[in-house]
Amino acid sequence: MAGAIASALYQGLFRRNAVFLSTIFASAFAFEIAYDTGSNKIWDTMNRGRQWKDVKHRYTVQEEEDDE
Amino acid sequence: MSLSSASSSLLRACARQQLPTSRAAIASCQQRRGGATASKSSFDSPFTSAKESSNYKVPDFSKYASKKSPRSNQVFSYFMAGSLGLASAVGAKATVQDFLVNMSASADVLAQAKVEIGLGAIPEGKNVIIKWRGKPVFIRHRTQGEIDEANQVDVTSLRDPEADQDRVQKPEWLVMLGVCTHLGCVPIGESGDFGGWFCPCHGSHYDISGRIRKGPAPLNLEVPSYNFPDEDTLIIG
Repeated sequence: MAGAIASALYQGLFRRNAVFLSTIFASAFAFEIAYDTGSNKIWDTMNRGRQWKDVKHRYTVQEEEDDE
Repeated sequence: MSLSSASSSLLRACARQQLPTSRAAIASCQQRRGGATASKSSFDSPFTSAKESSNYKVPDFSKYASKKSPRSNQVFSYFMAGSLGLASAVGAKATVQDFLVNMSASADVLAQAKVEIGLGAIPEGKNVIIKWRGKPVFIRHRTQGEIDEANQVDVTSLRDPEADQDRVQKPEWLVMLGVCTHLGCVPIGESGDFGGWFCPCHGSHYDISGRIRKGPAPLNLEVPSYNFPDEDTLIIG
């Protein structure tokens, strides 16, 4: 079973260097998106309520009241 | 001369004598080694004779050898190498991107490079001149008659052929840089032979779409990048 998976991986990805390299770059692209999204999500949860986008509505509402 | 020839012949004789003995020694060595490897297990050192093999016993590593198939070990190695490549590619890209982003304009510079205008204060048929990046910008709230006039012009007859709808996003709002394309004077609004702008420096006439019609200027008045975030706001920049 494991041998079948291994040989499928080998035949599919590692056998040809061009395929290997393209797989590396494609998964680097995907990994970067996932990593950035994930770390931004973690940052936002750690700093919930402290960032400008969280408190913006308070101040924009105040400004509109000032204008009126 | 005779001395040197004698010494060289002596040397040659020595070499000839030495050669058979050394050849024999090598042959015996090889024989001994071949015999040893044949008799002993594959875990024994090949550099010992059978007599002293008990002193040079190489441990049995078969307990530590991988039980998996060679192919799966190979796949694991390639996977690790590929993961290292992936991590390096992401790291290199992030480094280069950080350097390039560092060189681009910062948020405060970008904010200063924009101008926001409330359009509700500009009545129809009036010009407004504002300053943007140190240059004047003309904003004209055109009447329907002026829009029709700008569209009636035969574009092919112009010096810098440009249709009116290519120069405006909303036909009633004409936004363009107030810098004459000739030598950079500021044209005067609502004057000139074509009801648009007139440059007093060298007499260039622009029509109601800011296109050059008469005089020395080579090009139409330049249109900056702008957008309308909502119905009566204009952001230039």
